[in-house]
Amino acid sequence: MDNLIGLWQDSGLYLMAPGQVVMILVGLLLLFLAISKNFEPLLLVPIGFGGILANIPGAELASSAVDAALHAANPDVMAAFAHSLGLDGLASVKEIKHAFELSTLAQHTAIEQLAGDFGYSNGMLYNFYSVAIASGVAPLVIFMGVGAMTDFGPLLANPKTLFLGAAAQFGIFATVLGAVGMSYLGWMDFTIADAAAIGIIGGADGPTAIYVSSLLAPELLGAIAVAAYSYMALVPLIQPPIMRALTTVEERKITMTQLRVVSKREKIVFPIVVLILVALFLPSAAPLLGMFCFGNLMKECGVVDRLSDTAQHALINITTIFLGLSVGSKLAADKFLDPKTMGILALGIVAFGIGTAMGVLMAKLMNKFSTQKINPLIGSAGVSAVPMAARVSNKIGLEANPQNFLLMHAMGPNVAGVIGSAVAAGVMISMVQAMGN
Amino acid sequence: MQQEIMQQGVDLMLFGMGSVFVFLTVLVIATMIMSSLVQRFFPEPVPLPVPAAKAPVPAGVNDPKLLAIIKAAVDKHRAKK
Repeated sequence: MDNLIGLWQDSGLYLMAPGQVVMILVGLLLLFLAISKNFEPLLLVPIGFGGILANIPGAELASSAVDAALHAANPDVMAAFAHSLGLDGLASVKEIKHAFELSTLAQHTAIEQLAGDFGYSNGMLYNFYSVAIASGVAPLVIFMGVGAMTDFGPLLANPKTLFLGAAAQFGIFATVLGAVGMSYLGWMDFTIADAAAIGIIGGADGPTAIYVSSLLAPELLGAIAVAAYSYMALVPLIQPPIMRALTTVEERKITMTQLRVVSKREKIVFPIVVLILVALFLPSAAPLLGMFCFGNLMKECGVVDRLSDTAQHALINITTIFLGLSVGSKLAADKFLDPKTMGILALGIVAFGIGTAMGVLMAKLMNKFSTQKINPLIGSAGVSAVPMAARVSNKIGLEANPQNFLLMHAMGPNVAGVIGSAVAAGVMISMVQAMGN
Repeated sequence: MQQEIMQQGVDLMLFGMGSVFVFLTVLVIATMIMSSLVQRFFPEPVPLPVPAAKAPVPAGVNDPKLLAIIKAAVDKHRAKK
């Protein structure tokens, strides 16, 4: 009979907390959106599945050894923890947890050692997270792969479209202000670091968002990544109403001149030019843009096709699997089911909207000063979200004028948006860290 | 504290947006200079597609291994008769 009771008490049904049920349902919803609705399936399948794994009761896949020990709350272990933290032997688990968070580095290491001695180990997803995201490796490797897949030809043929990519980054900073405003009004409790990490959702660039939030607000990473990827999938729904509202039919009909042919040599030199400028003016963006330029140079130089091929396919796929599972590990109930998540989801969509609007408005502004007209529809592609945003520009353009193909023109601001959001990320990381958060 | 975070947010927006614009403006200028330099001083050699078109065809026909296989097959067919 005792065995039966023991078995029952180890079962998922007995241990399941209501939060975990909700999070497993959220994980299933993400899987449904990915599989049935084709929402960014390459990321949402691993993220959704990781989210379910992270919420399996009793398995503690997403917890560190110490968290697992604290969760199990074995009295002997707790007494040992309390002793090494300088508390008395009868301290409650809550007190121990609190003391552990405030402990010195030496105590921290000692507790980790103790948890290991008592046979607790880090959960699988926790290890994935430390290796792939906490170290910063996975987003940067993905960025390298994105660089290796990017063709800067349309951008080089019309460099002025870089301004569109710059304008669309206003979405990021407006959202930072929005998040800070929410704290100011007392609705939410976001620090400036949280606000910066939330704003970067407006960059519409998954790896950049994950990289920034892993540095500035790791506890919000799950919500930020889910918001970023879901809204990227929703770009074809979010952008068109804004684009139509801000342009007249005449503007949408503007045909653009054929792009000139860009020579191989220009394409080879361009990533090196970007790299030199980063080195001179913006070292804080060096990790993201450095990897991006490296990937692009491998593609364009033509002598390392094997490396470029690996970066574009095998490596980015492997990294995506681990990145997705690691993001899923941040969907643990106690971290995700928080009013902040709702705030992040709301701010994220505002970020996309403002970015789109600013790109379009910038294109209209440039038309005021330039003789070479730009179709304002390509401005919306400045929010990155390659290549979805460019396709949206093309589609809306075709609605106004069935002979007007904007896709290649929109690729210019589209890749400019990737550079723009990496620059914005670099600036925010260095500024927020300097603010002492 | 709340006043301070608002101030930080505004700072972040002004400096962040400023740096993005300045950096991308510099990049536009640098790109234009780079493109004109490359086009003027290092123009690409024009006849590129010629060798690419020639190469694959003869490779198939003159392959000694393939010839040997065809020969063996023909011989076998004749031997049967």
